Amino acid sequence: MIEVKNVKKEFYKLDKKRLKNKFFAVNDISLEANDGEIVGILGPNGAGKTTLLRMIGGIMEPTSGVIKYDDKTFIDSALEIKKDIAYLSGNTKIYKSISAYELLKMCLEFYDYNGDFEKRINYISEVLELENFLYNKIENLSTGQTQRVNIARCLIHDPKYYILDEATSGLDIISSQIILNFIKNEKKRGKTILYSTHYMEEAQEICSKVYMVNKGEVIAFGTPDEIKKKTKTTNLRDSFFKLIGGEDNEK
Amino acid sequence: MKNKIFSILKKELREVFRDKKSLSMMLIIPIMIPLLVIGMSSFFDYQINKNIDNSYNVGFNYKLSDYENELTKNVKFKNKIDNEKNLEKLLEDGKLDFFITKKDNKYTIHYDQNIETSTLYVTVAEQYLNSYKSILQANYLDEFSINSKEVLDIITIDYKTISKKNNSFYANYITTYAFLFIIMAITISATYPATDTTAGEKERGTLETLLTFPIKSRDIILGKFLSVFISSIITGVLSFILTLISLLYVNKMDIYKNISILPNLNTSLITIFIIICYSALISGLCISIASYSKTFKEAQSALTPLSFISFFPGMIAFMIKIKTTTLMSIIPFLNFTQIFNDINSNNINYLHISLMFISTVFYIGLILFIIIKQYRNEKVLFNS
Repeated sequence: MIEVKNVKKEFYKLDKKRLKNKFFAVNDISLEANDGEIVGILGPNGAGKTTLLRMIGGIMEPTSGVIKYDDKTFIDSALEIKKDIAYLSGNTKIYKSISAYELLKMCLEFYDYNGDFEKRINYISEVLELENFLYNKIENLSTGQTQRVNIARCLIHDPKYYILDEATSGLDIISSQIILNFIKNEKKRGKTILYSTHYMEEAQEICSKVYMVNKGEVIAFGTPDEIKKKTKTTNLRDSFFKLIGGEDNEK
Repeated sequence: MKNKIFSILKKELREVFRDKKSLSMMLIIPIMIPLLVIGMSSFFDYQINKNIDNSYNVGFNYKLSDYENELTKNVKFKNKIDNEKNLEKLLEDGKLDFFITKKDNKYTIHYDQNIETSTLYVTVAEQYLNSYKSILQANYLDEFSINSKEVLDIITIDYKTISKKNNSFYANYITTYAFLFIIMAITISATYPATDTTAGEKERGTLETLLTFPIKSRDIILGKFLSVFISSIITGVLSFILTLISLLYVNKMDIYKNISILPNLNTSLITIFIIICYSALISGLCISIASYSKTFKEAQSALTPLSFISFFPGMIAFMIKIKTTTLMSIIPFLNFTQIFNDINSNNINYLHISLMFISTVFYIGLILFIIIKQYRNEKVLFNS
């Protein structure tokens, strides 16, 4: 279970006179993701989703608040927690000068994987159909193949938690579907998944629970049906605009 | 922990050796060293031989005596007799190297100070006039039946060098510059992988991926540092081997006659030790500076001054012949060249070498401590 309590992240931005002004990219957000749940974090670009997930993924420190993984925190068990996490974002880049095989082997070394490396790589490449390009350099792969390697990187150590930030952003329909199928399968295996996106339809399709975020704050949470019911709309996109007071208000 | 450092090191080395730019940076300067050593030696050799073989175009405004004719023939003067005005015109046009005018017993040497070889021409003219003066003095004494040899050679002058090594100015010059080229090669070779592994990784977005793995920032930095260190050592040792080969080749030139410019085994081993110390220091410094940069370009600009800092203090110290002191052996950059100059002149001071080593280890420790702290600071990682 992932538990986020009153997390804040403060940044500075420069004004016209180049003076530093404080602002909260994430302002007092709390959320929970139970085992076997896909929790969606929805919001427009710049809502604070990436900052929130970076903090949950342990690559950024919150200014205040607590992040817990089954009662463990990054302050006392950072490496232990990271061993159980897979972090994949739309911006996640992988090493291009190495082959998919070398990347997966390197990841197993990084995660201190105890089992047989060859067996694990063969298994994952079979599941994600990487066999045809496993030994090719990543720079020579197509976008879809690269994304499959990226997923393989996340799967390789059989993590307990997935943190997926705009994972389908910029991908074609086939590559997006590969990721969505992968998420659904992992949910069935009892994994906890945090999934951020600005594609509301996608969230509606796969999420058990969603948190709608705008300007660093949670503006609504619940199951997609609960939110739609509460806002008296038929889809999450309309719900979002209703919650923020219309498209003009957002602009 | 060791495994993680080793895994990072493996990843980084794989990237360095698969990147054509990194590889070329590692090899280009070492390949240039033989060209520089052979080129400089050939130039010195040519200059010296030119001075011996060359004849000189010399003007006189008076008729030469038989003695003078004989003497000018011996010193390979091509004589031109004319009036002063015409001689001056010929000198201006470059048709004469210098000319001599005579009024009563006073001889004047006329030369063009703007010509780079003017000092040499003045020396040649002085030598010629001194020889002529000696002939006249000897003749004068002989007329009075005085043994001119006894009078003129009343004292004799001998030369003895204090240099412990059978060396020469040119040999010292070429070996010191070869060492400075090695230092420069290491600096340039460290710059590229250090930039690529820090700012480059940040710019490509792979650093964020790396930070999601359960690896301590200490292990990441040590792995990155070791990869840059190893590639610098490869460049340094390769440069040293190529320098030895080129020194072996140029040793047969006239300027290095009767001397060996090749370092002995002890000097070679200490030189390799200095190269390793320098590689470690420059690797740490490059990684530290490049880490602060947001982009590859920014890091390269920030690292450019390092190439000058690595080369010029040592060069200036060599030119003005600064003596190595205890304090100097702990001044980074300067200490490496100074200690090399000492061992090259067979003045091996183990205290200075130890101080250089200890201070370098201290500086590297300090640099790594700062970078590790820096990598924990998300401002450095997400400053874009």
